[in-house]
Parts: sequence; C-alpha cells; structure tokens
Amino acid sequence: MTSLPAYIARRLILLIFVLIGVTVLIFAITALVPIDVRAMLYVRNVQHTNPEQLTRIAEQYGLTRPLYEQYFTWLGQVLQGNLGFAKSSQQPVVQAILERWPYTFEIVIFAAPLIIFIGIYLGVQAAIHKDGIIDHATRVLSIVGWSLPSFWLGLILLSVFYGYLRWLPPGPLDPDLLNFRNTSPSFKRYTYIDLFDGLLNGRPDITLNVIKHVILPVIVIVTINVALLIRVMRSSMLEALGKPYTFAAKAKGLDDKTVIYRHARRNALIPVITLSGMLVAGLLGGLVITETVFAFGGLGQWAARAALNFDIPAVLGYAMLSAFIFVIANLIVDILYAYIDPRIRLV
Amino acid sequence: MDLSTKWKEIKVAWEPRIKEWKFMLKRMRESPLAILGLAIIIGFVIIACMAPILAPPTGPDPFILKVDKEFSVLTPQPTPPTVKHIFGTTGEQYDIYYACIWGTINAFRVGLLVVVIALIIGLILGVVAAYYGGIIDEILMRFTDIIIALPGLVLSMALVIAFPTIIPLDITTIILVISAILSITFAAFKPERKFLLPTQIVLFASLLLYIYNPIVIGLNLSRLDKVLISLAIVGWPGYARLIRGEVLRVKNEDYIEAAKASGCSDLRIIIKHILPNTIYPLLIVVTLDIGSIVLTAAALGFLGIGAEPNFADWGNIISRSREWISSPDLLVKHYHTFLIPGIFIALFVLGWNLLGDALRDVLDPMIRRR
Amino acid sequence: MEEDTLLEIKNLVVRFYTYAGIVEALDGVNLKIKPGEILGLVGETGCGKSVTSFSVLQLVPPPGAIEGGEIHFNKDGKIIDIRKLQKDTIRQIRGKDIAMVFQEPRAYLNPVYTVETQIGEALLTHRKSEFLKRAIETLEKAGKKSSFEKKVYERMLKKPSSIITKILAKFSRQKTLKEEIRKEVVNLLRSVEIADPERVAKMYPFELSGGMAQRAVIAMALSCQPVMLIADEPTTNLDVTVQAQILNLIRELRKTFKSSILYITHDLGVIAELCDRVAVMYAGNVVETADVYELFESPLHPYTKALLESIPRPGQEFKSIPGTVPSLINPPKGCRFHDRCQFEMEICSKVKPKFIEVKKDHFVACHLYGGQK
Repeated sequence: MTSLPAYIARRLILLIFVLIGVTVLIFAITALVPIDVRAMLYVRNVQHTNPEQLTRIAEQYGLTRPLYEQYFTWLGQVLQGNLGFAKSSQQPVVQAILERWPYTFEIVIFAAPLIIFIGIYLGVQAAIHKDGIIDHATRVLSIVGWSLPSFWLGLILLSVFYGYLRWLPPGPLDPDLLNFRNTSPSFKRYTYIDLFDGLLNGRPDITLNVIKHVILPVIVIVTINVALLIRVMRSSMLEALGKPYTFAAKAKGLDDKTVIYRHARRNALIPVITLSGMLVAGLLGGLVITETVFAFGGLGQWAARAALNFDIPAVLGYAMLSAFIFVIANLIVDILYAYIDPRIRLV
Repeated sequence: MDLSTKWKEIKVAWEPRIKEWKFMLKRMRESPLAILGLAIIIGFVIIACMAPILAPPTGPDPFILKVDKEFSVLTPQPTPPTVKHIFGTTGEQYDIYYACIWGTINAFRVGLLVVVIALIIGLILGVVAAYYGGIIDEILMRFTDIIIALPGLVLSMALVIAFPTIIPLDITTIILVISAILSITFAAFKPERKFLLPTQIVLFASLLLYIYNPIVIGLNLSRLDKVLISLAIVGWPGYARLIRGEVLRVKNEDYIEAAKASGCSDLRIIIKHILPNTIYPLLIVVTLDIGSIVLTAAALGFLGIGAEPNFADWGNIISRSREWISSPDLLVKHYHTFLIPGIFIALFVLGWNLLGDALRDVLDPMIRRR
Repeated sequence: MEEDTLLEIKNLVVRFYTYAGIVEALDGVNLKIKPGEILGLVGETGCGKSVTSFSVLQLVPPPGAIEGGEIHFNKDGKIIDIRKLQKDTIRQIRGKDIAMVFQEPRAYLNPVYTVETQIGEALLTHRKSEFLKRAIETLEKAGKKSSFEKKVYERMLKKPSSIITKILAKFSRQKTLKEEIRKEVVNLLRSVEIADPERVAKMYPFELSGGMAQRAVIAMALSCQPVMLIADEPTTNLDVTVQAQILNLIRELRKTFKSSILYITHDLGVIAELCDRVAVMYAGNVVETADVYELFESPLHPYTKALLESIPRPGQEFKSIPGTVPSLINPPKGCRFHDRCQFEMEICSKVKPKFIEVKKDHFVACHLYGGQK
C-alpha cells in the first residue's frame, strides 16, 4: 500500500523501539560507574562522608539492587519527568534544561536553515558545473571547513572580532540588556526566547542584540557542517543528472532549467533530506564546543561544564535529550521522504 | 606443482587487479589535492619519527610535559614565543613547541588505534549480520541505530566520565565467550575439515579454564585509555553498517552464486570474493575517520576531559584558553596558546581529509566503470 | 534534399573523447526517411544505432560530439540543418516535431511524478496556447465570463513573458487549465489502449507494468502530434506477447497519426513484421539500406547476408559470423567489416567503400558493388 498514514504508523512503532533502546543504553552507562561514585552523587557534603555512610546511602537509594530492577525504577523516574540532580549547576537536570534551551535554540534556528540552503545551493551548482571553478572551489573550501576544529575557529574569530575589534562579544546578550530582561517587571517572557521576546515586548533592540551575539557561533557551526551537505548534494545531483529520466526530459524539449531543477534536483534531494535531518539533530553535539567558546549559556555549555565536574546525571540527561531529538528528527525526515518519493511507502 | 608455475599462476590471477591499482595511482598522482594531502601526512609522519631529535624528551615518559621552573616563578601567565620557547608557553609554563611535536605522535596513536579497534569490532559484527540476515541482522541494526542516535561527542563525553578507573575484567569469561562465538561462526560457515578440530580444542580448553581457574584482573585505565575506548565505542557502529551494506550488495551479485554453485565453502567465499570487493569504500571511510577521531579527541581535550592535564595532547594545550573568553585583551595577548596548536590539528585533519576525498573520487568511477 | 524526404542524414560523424581514447562511434552515417514511412534501423549492440538517433535531436551526451556531416529535416515545408540550430530552436523540435520512445520505459519516466504530471508537462510545453484557449472556452461556457482565473489565462496568452504574468501564473491555482490537461491525458491514454485510463493517469511509474509503461510513454510521445517518432528498442525488454501488442499499437497509430517512425532494434523478426524500409548498421556505418522485402529476398552486403543466415532455423546448424565486433577506439582501416568478411578483397582493408545506389532504392557500401565512385 502506498498510503502515507500506514507508513507513518509503521515508522512510529520502530521509533518507540529505538527510544527504549536509547534508555537502556543510557542506563547501561550509569551502571558502568562504580557504586561508591554513584553514591557520592547523593551527597551534598562531599568532604565529610566516610565509606560506611556511602554503603548506607548506596543501599538506601537502591544502588545495590539487581540491574534490571534499577533500570525500571530509573525508567519510572524518567517517565515522570525526573532526570536527576545536576551537582555542577545545583539544580534538577530538567530545570537546568528548561532554563537553557532557548539559547541553544537561538543558535540552531539560524544555523540549521543556513546549512541546508547553502549546502543545497552550492551542491547543485557544483554538480551542474562539474570540474569547473565553482566545483573545485566549493570542494576545497568545504574540505577545509570540515577539517577545522570548531573551538579553534571559534577562538580565532572571537579574538579577532571581539578581542581586537570589540564588535561581536561572546555570551547570549549584552550584560545590561540581560539584567533588564531578568529584573524589569515590564518585560514579559512570552516564549523565553529572547530573539522573539524582544519583538513581542516592543524592544527590537534586544532582538538585534541577540543577532549580534549569535553571528559568530552560527558562522562557526555553518562553516564546519556545510561541507557534508555539499558533498552529498553534489554526488546525488550528479547521479540524478546521469539518469535516463533526465535524458528523456531533455528529449521532450524541456529547457535546461526545468530539467535541472524540476526533474533532476527533486530526485537528488531525496538522500539529502535524510542527511539534513540527521545533521540538524547532530548539531547538538557540535554545540557543546561552540557554546563553550562563546559562553552562550545554552545546553551545550552546560553539558561541557557538567562533564568537567564529572556530573553524570547532567551529561546523561543531555545525551538522552540529544538522542530523543535525533530520533524524532529522523521520523520527521522519513515522513518527508515518503511524501516526496512515493516508492518508499512500500517499505 | 613446482614453485615457478605456481608463481606464474598467482601473477596471472593478480594481473587485472594490479592494472587497476596502477590506474588508480595514476589518477591520484594527477590530483593536486591528493598530492597535497599525502604531503601533509608524510610531513607529520616525519615530525613524529624525528620527535626525539626535534624536541628532546623531558624524562622517562616523553609525553608528560615539564614545567619550566624559571618562568613559572616569574609569571603565572603564558609567555609569548621567545628563543627558548619557540611557540611560547602555556599558563602552567608548558612548552608549546614540545607539546605540539610530541602531540603529533599522540595524534597518530589515537587516530590509528581507535580506527583499528572500531574496525575490528565493526567488521566482525557487520559481516555476521549481513551473512546471516534475519533476526540477527535486525537486532544488530537496532543496536547500531541506538548508538548512532547519540551525537559522537556527547556519547564519548558521557563514556569518558562514566568509565571507572579500574575495570574488573573477567578474563576467563571473555575467552570462553570469544571461543564460543568463533566455534559457532566456523560451524555455520562450513569450512574445510582441517579447521574444525582446532576450534573444538580451543573451545574445550577455554571451558575447562573457566570452570577450574577463573581469572579476574583489575585493568588500570589512564584518562587517555578512557578516551580511546570511548571513541572506539562511538565509532564501531558506523563501520558495522557500512560493511553490512557492502556485503549485502555483493552477496547478491551473480559471481557469488557462481562460486557457491562450484562448491566453494562459505568462508572461502567471504575471503576470496566478498572482502576484496567491499574493501574500497571502507578505505575511504577509514581515511576520513582518522581525521574526525583526532578532532573529537582534541575537542575532549579542549573541554578538559581528555588526557591528563600535563599530557602532550593538542587539545589539552588549548584547553586553558577557555579562561580568557570573557577577557578580550587576554585573549588577543595569549593568541599563541591556541593559534599554533590549532594549526597542527587543522593541518593534520586536513591532510587525511584531502587524501580521503581524493580516494573517494578515484575509487568511485572505478567501481562503476562507465 | 529531395521533395518527399522528411529527414536526411548525410555523412554523420560522431566521436566520444573518453579516458580510454577517442571512440569513432559514427563514421559517416547515411539515412533517409520519407513522411509516413517506418524505417527500421538494425544492427548489433554498440554499432551506433542509438547514437545516430540521439544526434537527430542534438542529444549526444558528453564526452561525445557531432563532428561532421549534415542532418536535414523538413519542418513544416522548410528544410533546416539540425546541426546548425540554436539551442532554443532545437528544443522546439524535441517532443513536438520529433519525439522519442525508449527501451526501458519505467527508467525513462521520472519516478517521483505521476503519469498525468509528466504527460501534462509535455502538453504544456508544446501546446500551451491551445489549452489556454480551451480553458477560457470552458470558463465562458460555464458562465464565468469575468472570473479572475479567465483573466489570468487571457494574459498568459497575450503576454506570456512579462513578469507580472509569471507571478500571476505562479500563484494562481489554474484549476480549469489543469482539468483540461487531465482530460487530454486520459484521452491519450485511452488511445494507446490502456484500460481504465483515469486510474492509470494518477499512478507512479513504478506502479505500472512494463507494457503499460511503454504505452504511456508512447502516449506522451504522440501527445504533441510529431511528424516523426524515434523508437529506440521499445519492445526489447518486454514479453513476447506484450511486444506483439505494442507492435500492433504502433502500426495502428501510424495509420491514425501518419507520422514516420525510425524503429531501432536488433531483432530481425520485428523488422520483417513492422518496417517498410530497413537500414543495416555495422560498427558505426550504415552498410545497406533497402525496402524490407528487397532486403530479405536479395541482401547485397556480406554483413547483411551473414546476419540473415545466422537466424536460427529448426533442423539447421547454428551459423555465426566469425570474429568479433571491432573496438571503435582503433577501428580497422578501410571497410570496418573486412576482417570478418568472406568476400574480402585487397582494396577492402585500404579504402572505405562509399554508400551508393546499386539497385533502385537499394543502397550498399561495399567494394563488391563498386563503392569506389
């Protein structure tokens, strides 16, 4: 059956399996940690604990129970919305995430579309002008971009545009505006995303300020990640251009533009869409470094600091969130794929 | 059959393959990017080999950085390049030049070790999944799906901090499990008779060992070891999927049917027919992966969860730069602490990426041969 | 070019510049088609049949290039040289005056668009004004004389290239126009004997069987009433029974549409059944051209003779032509068939025989019959 709803239903079932699998994996990583270290996580006053107390704590919190039992207790907690306590930021993991996701969002909302559109455009151009200057230049630039360490690029950009020129500072917002947002009673946080709240509150300067701060992190993320998309788009487009139906379209008398964009590109986009979804979902990984370099205050930076402090619940909470977003993004992409390419609905 | 005829046989059999390789090499030589990539890698190899000469070791373990006592007494800040320290020093007064040189060896080590380990795991699991198919394939694919769902850096972060420093390894159980897997695999692949007996002996021996003398040792993991293991765990699913895909593709080709029809054992088919045809895409991915593994390791080092702080690792050296992010003047003043080691990282990765990309270009049309 | 010729190819030379060397694909091909005639182009795989057909529409793919000869086409009474045409002009001919049908129809249809969309595309490209007029008529008959949609159509007719027209066209739903196109598509599908054409129109190429897909492709090719149809092995991939149906269909359509057909195949049986005239190709040359009965009764060229003899007959031994088709990167000098020919003479390996009329309307390129003039 080539119906879309049936396909979606099938993919949803698969998704649930993968999500369960992810929880098992995350839990397995917590199980790796030795019991005494895990017991320490429940302790507020680290210095004054002795081994006896640790054993008691371990038993009290069920750390000595068989693993499968621990898993279900843990899973139960997770499903109720409790992801543990992050000692590095002294707050429940869930609260930490809720406080910080808007900043990450501000970066992703600019970076993702840029990566996708620049990648598709350059990839198609490189394929059309194969072996031409555009092709070679795009190729070299994207390989170089992919090779740069994100923290290095970030630090260099920061030292030039901030250290030297003082134009684009790190952080999510200028300190005085940040203060205003936090303390002023007239500022209503409708969405908690400063980018939008600025406009909604009649303070477009706040929105512009966000953009000013977001430029450098977005440049770093886009430069590094666009390479993959360009490469896949290019090879996919080259393949589509060589297919019989492209030839037949030409033989029908269609002009080049129609042949390239309506026929070849539509087919070539199919694998690219899958990749885009995965790329966007994977941005959460790259953001750890970029947010740290630009002190953006988002989830990535929080996870980085948590890792430094061996804050296991926090890091694992971030990991689980990333995985969930990845799986859901994959589902959306698969549905889009099935919408564009009717053949896949039979799978 | 005497030696000379056998040699002629081998030569004839390999001739078309050698001709392809020569054609490949010619295409590579014509590509300036490939040559550049190769030159960069060779450059780093030379640096790595000449490390003891370029930067005389500081002590028994050359990878441990030594603090320059003179400077540390004077300033707690990084010093810019001087004659004594060509690239300058970091805040703890580690010589950046020294760290970069020995960091090269470290980079090679990390890249190659992780790739080899991940490749071995991925190869075995991928081939098994592809060859058996059915439920084994499904389970394995879901498993790789789960691991791939987590972004590489995030997963390796979680693993690095979760791994205990001492892992109790039950060696006898491991040997038993490995020999059991091998026996089942062998039995299923129906090899020639001569292989069967040794496998049985090994299995029996490991069973005895398990029952009578269990060995448990505590394996001490250095921070660098944790990084290596984490990256290998993150990396193997990619290989498993790739190999599985390639084997599935080749498995259904006609020449496999022909080989089966002429009576080849499964193992022989795998080695002689499947592996040579699936190896090319693998080569490309491996080359590119060495670069990205080093990048991830450097990222972990930058975040401060990589190797020990006084270890000669490129990412390590740059990690102190995090402190000056809010101080624009310091950032510019201490640019040498991140600019130069970063160049090493970028060039190293660039070399492998250029090579991998050129390989991809050369191997692609060859496989399709239009 | 003569009065009653539709297409004439003279001394066509095509080369491919590949990594392995320069392939002399076509070495002076001569072909003539009259209006309403079915010309069969027969030859082994790789002899250049397809390349010849591509050249007619200037569709030789890179690394190939047309490097010599003339292609004269009678377009609405005027004789033009296709090789000299600009890109825009040749596009008007493709799909409209000369249309092509290919070997594996499902591969030559875009997998992500329905049959309806793709045939509709052909109609919109070449017969747009006709359908705009029909749409306007329909709207008028339905009493919607001053609707916005009608105005858009009228503007599209009068000023097709203005920017405002393009913007309007992009953002209007054009329901009536699409309906008119859909009706025509269904009619076309019905005319190629597809049962339930309305359902088939909404299908995707991978949902069609080979025979149905080929019919749909034929419908698409005929949608703009071309004067010539190039069929490149359209039945090779089909079952024999389906093949027979398609051949029948082509015969019927020739009667209805009166177009010429260049039918490319390697199957002599199909040639015998379908074609009026036959051209035999070998290694980049046309070696013999004649009326179909004439060719089967008295073949002149040694290759043609060997081909006919090699058709398996019950009770007789298999007869094959000794040797193999030469590589076209370093083709043999002189006549390209000389090293496999049982009548080889000394001149055959030195001088290339010319393509001359040996009997009435029977052309051969062979030194046995002159060929030096």
